[in-house]
Amino acid sequence: MNCRECTEHLYEYLDRELTSDVEQEIRQHLADCPPCGEHFDFEKLFLDFLRARCRAHGAPPELKRKILRDLFGA
Amino acid sequence: MPPPPPPPPRPAETPQPAESVLAEAEKRASFEREALTHLDSLYRVALRLTGNAAEADDLVQETMLKAYRAWHQFEKGSNAKGWLLTILRHAFINEYRRRIRHPETVDLDAIEPFSVFADVQDEDPQGTFFDRIVDDEVLRAIDQLPEQFRETVVLSDVEGLSYDEIARILEVPVGTVKSRLFRARRMLQGKLYDYAVGMGYIKGTPK
Ligand SMILES: [Zn+2]
Repeated sequence: MNCRECTEHLYEYLDRELTSDVEQEIRQHLADCPPCGEHFDFEKLFLDFLRARCRAHGAPPELKRKILRDLFGA
Repeated sequence: MPPPPPPPPRPAETPQPAESVLAEAEKRASFEREALTHLDSLYRVALRLTGNAAEADDLVQETMLKAYRAWHQFEKGSNAKGWLLTILRHAFINEYRRRIRHPETVDLDAIEPFSVFADVQDEDPQGTFFDRIVDDEVLRAIDQLPEQFRETVVLSDVEGLSYDEIARILEVPVGTVKSRLFRARRMLQGKLYDYAVGMGYIKGTPK
């Protein structure tokens, strides 16, 4: 696997969407190729950052009360 | 010995027979257990789709109402989150989108994704500048994405769904999910990078 092929699978790899064969090939390339390794680390960090920033917020408590009232009248 | 007198007739039944009261209670319990637990997810997606808390409230309320009416059609034990998000998205498309946001006319495939990493690899290859960007700024950047990118990134990065689940909800091929996700994330990175440069968190040059 070369750098271009490796980078094409960047997000599929980080999202764990690849078959284990391809995943293994990529892991091997990343171990052998520091520039790709660094790039993947950066993207992984970005996704972790994105998720941490966005998943914190939930529905307002009042909304749940409204829905329960709508559905069950209580 | 004379036979015992027959038992007195039962008092008139309550309007609903006992079984249907029981079925209703079971329906409610299963809905609370399997559907209402996804309320936070639905709200987050609704908020990013509508871009406005009041509209998100209405959209989620309507989704839950529709879902409860259709609850008998939901295959118990299957993916309730995906099922609910599909209902939510249809409600959004049919009733909210035209009112709130205008569908984009830009050719999304023509947008050339660029790599922020190429720009920062010398100065900050670990991307530590991201840590200084607060939640609101990230959410604002997501809200500025074209709708097709926004919904894909929200389902993946905010809600953690698989490509397959996203493809089913958005009714597009998995390949489309992949390419949208790639462009959406790169575009988001670019926006946040520009912001970080503007704030002086990193030197760089805005795109
Ligand atoms: Zn490489």
